[in-house]
Amino acid sequence: MDIKRNYYEDIELFKSNTILVWSILFLIFLGILPWLIQKYHLLGMSIYIVNLITIHAIVAIGLNILVGYTGQISMGHAGFFALGAFTTVILILRWSFPLWVALPIAGFVSSAFGFILGLPALRLKGPYLAIATLGFGMTITTIIKHMEFFGGRMGLQAPRLYLFGTPMKDIHYYYVIMIIAVLMTIGAVKLIKTRVGRAFIAIRDSDIAAEAMGVNLTYYKTLAFAVSAFYTGIAGGLYAFILGFINPESFHLIMSITFLAMVVIGGLGSIMGSIAGAALMTFLDIKLQAIQDIPAIGPALVTFSQKYMSISGISNVAVIVYGLIMILIVLFEPLGIFGFWIRTKRYWKTWPF
Amino acid sequence: MVKKNLSLIGLLMATVFIIAVPASAQKVQGVTDTEILIGQWGPQTGPAAPWGAVARGTDLLVKIINEEGGIHGRKFKYFLRDDSYQPAKTKAIAKEFVEQIGVFAVVGGVGVATGMTARDYLMENKIPWCGPVTGVYEWITPIQKYLFAIYPLYDDEAFNLTGYLDEKLGYKKIAMFYQNDDYGKQGVMGVERYLLKKKINLVAKVSAEVTDRDLSTHALKLKNSGAEAVIMWTMPTHAALILAETAKIGFKPQWATSSTLSDSALMMQITKGLWVGMINSFFGELPDSNHPLMVKYREWHKKLAPQERWGVFYYAGIIFSEPFFEGVRRAGKNLTPETWISAMETLKNWQGIGPPISYSKPNHPMDRQGGKHVFYGKVKPDGNIQRLTDWIQITK
Repeated sequence: MDIKRNYYEDIELFKSNTILVWSILFLIFLGILPWLIQKYHLLGMSIYIVNLITIHAIVAIGLNILVGYTGQISMGHAGFFALGAFTTVILILRWSFPLWVALPIAGFVSSAFGFILGLPALRLKGPYLAIATLGFGMTITTIIKHMEFFGGRMGLQAPRLYLFGTPMKDIHYYYVIMIIAVLMTIGAVKLIKTRVGRAFIAIRDSDIAAEAMGVNLTYYKTLAFAVSAFYTGIAGGLYAFILGFINPESFHLIMSITFLAMVVIGGLGSIMGSIAGAALMTFLDIKLQAIQDIPAIGPALVTFSQKYMSISGISNVAVIVYGLIMILIVLFEPLGIFGFWIRTKRYWKTWPF
Repeated sequence: MVKKNLSLIGLLMATVFIIAVPASAQKVQGVTDTEILIGQWGPQTGPAAPWGAVARGTDLLVKIINEEGGIHGRKFKYFLRDDSYQPAKTKAIAKEFVEQIGVFAVVGGVGVATGMTARDYLMENKIPWCGPVTGVYEWITPIQKYLFAIYPLYDDEAFNLTGYLDEKLGYKKIAMFYQNDDYGKQGVMGVERYLLKKKINLVAKVSAEVTDRDLSTHALKLKNSGAEAVIMWTMPTHAALILAETAKIGFKPQWATSSTLSDSALMMQITKGLWVGMINSFFGELPDSNHPLMVKYREWHKKLAPQERWGVFYYAGIIFSEPFFEGVRRAGKNLTPETWISAMETLKNWQGIGPPISYSKPNHPMDRQGGKHVFYGKVKPDGNIQRLTDWIQITK
C-alpha cells in the first residue's frame, strides 16, 4: 500500500522489504563488479571507466540537488570540481594529510565557495545566474593557473596512495570511491525527503510562495549551492587520484556543460536519473569511438566520414551520434532516462493491460 | 561409425593443439609471429584538433612499412584513439591499450597534461613509449627506463635561438614576447639564461594572457623598447595578432620563433602574409625538402592518404615514430620490451627526417632525450623556407 500514515514512514529509506532485498542484491552486485569486469570486459569496460562514472555520478547528484530540486542553475561546476581536486592534492602533497581527512576538508572548502556563489543567486535567475556561475567556473581555473602554489599552469602530480603498504590500484580506488558514492547517494535521498529537501523543492516550484510559507530563501538557496559544491568537491578530490595528474586546463567550460547535460539527460529532480545520466554520458564519451572496430560497419563509417566530413575519421561520427542520442532523449523523454524507467515500471505494473 | 567419430575427435584435438601451441608460445604482449600492436592517442576533435594530424601522420608511416612487407615478417596494427585533449579520456585510452588491446608500445601522443596522466601507468606496466610530441623536461625527469623522448627541449631551443640572433646575426637589442603560461615561460627561461651568460639586457619582456585578444599596448611596448629583434614564444593566434598590431604601428623588427610555429604554410595564411622574414627553428626536414626519405614519404602520401595536407604537423607523426621502428628493426626477430630498449640504446646520431637521435643506458636524464638538434630557416616571400643552417646541437 502506498498510504503514508506519518512523517517517519515517508522518510524511510526502504519503503518495503522488496526494495530492501533489491538494494542488498544491488550492493552485492557492486561488490563483485570489478571481478566481473576484469573477467569479461563487458562492452570494453575497465575498472577505471567505472571509477570515472562513479565520480561523475557524485557530481551529477550534487548538481541535481541544485538544478533539479532547487531550480537554480550552475554552469560553473567544473570550478568546484577543480577546487576539490587541487585542495585534496595540496593537503596530501604539502602537509601529508591522510585521504580520509583531506577529502572532507576539500568538500568543505568547495562548499564555502558554493556558499559565496549562492549569494548572487539570491538576486539572479535563469540565464543571468547561468552567466554568473559560468564566470565563477572560469575565474577559479584562471586563479589556479596563475598561482605557483597550485602548480601553475603545469599542474600537479597526485601523490601515490598506499593501502597497508601497497600502492593503491584501480580496484582499491573502486571500493573507496564506491563506498563514498553509496553513502553520498543515501545522504542525498535522505536530504531530499526531509525538511531541507522539501524547502528546496518549494523554492523550485515558486520561490515567492515558498517564502510566504516561511522558507528562509537566503538560507536555503545558499545551502543548496553549498551542498551541491560539497558533493562536487569530494568528487573532484577522488578524480585527482584516479587521474594521477591534474592541470587547471582540464577543468574547462565544456566540463561544466557536460555535468549539466548528465543531469538533464538523466532526469531533473531524480537521484537515480543523475546516476544513469552520468553513466551513459561518460560511457558514450569514452567508448563511442570503438564503433570503428566493428567488422564491416566500422571501416565503412570511417571511409564515409573521411570522404564527406573531415579527415579526422571516426571521431566525426562519434560526436554526431553522441549529440544525436542527447537530442533524442530530451526530445522524446523530457524526464530523461528516469522518465524511461517510470514508464517501463508502469507498463509492467499494469501488464497485460 | 564409431571409427569415423574417433578420427573426427582426433582431428579436432590436433586442430586444438595446433591452435593452442602458438598461443602458449606467445609471451610478449602485443607481439605475435605476424603482428605487432601499437597505439597512439591524439586530439581529433575539440580545441586542439589541428594537432590531431600528428597521430594520422604516424598512421601513414605504419601503412608504408606494412606495404613494404613489415619488419622481420611482422606487420603493424595501429590503434589511433581520439582523446579530445581531455586527460581523463587519455588515461582511459592508455588503460584500453594496455588491458584490453594489449599493445606492445605507445608512440607519439600530443599534449603534456594528457600524457602525464598516462606516464606513470605505462611505466609501471613496462610499456615502451616512444616520442611524446612536446619538448618538456617531464618526459626525462625523473628518468624512465621505458620512455624515449625525441622532441628538442623548448628551454634549450630558446637559449640557442637567442645565441643565433646575437652571434650570427649581430642583434644586440633583443626583446621577448611570450604567452603567460608554462610553455611561454620555458621560452623566457632559455632566452634569459643566454642573455645572463653574455651579460646583455633584455630590452623588453612583454607577456600576453592566453585569453587576451587586444594586443595593441603590447605592440606599443615592444616598439618603445627600440628592439632590433623580437623572439616570440606563443600559440599561432597570438603570433598572428601581435604581427598585425606591430605592422599597424610601423614596427618591423627581425622576428624569431620556435619550432611549434614552424608550419609556415599555415602561419602565412593566418597572418595574411606578415609571416615573411620570420626566423624559425625546425625539428624536421622542410615540407619540400629533397631528402631521399622525404621524397619517398611524399610519394606514399600521394598514394595512400591524398586527402591529407602535407604539413609539418602531419609528417611530425612520422618524425616522432621513425626511431621506434628503427628500434624494432634493430631488436631483431626476438622482440621484447627489453630487446627493444637495448636496440634503442644503440642509436647514435641515427637520422630519419627529424633531428639526429642518440640514446644510451639511462644514467642521466639526457640519455633518454633523443632529439638534441634543430636548424634555422627564414620564411621567403612565397611562404617557402630558405634554410639558413645545418642541424645545430642545442642540448649538450
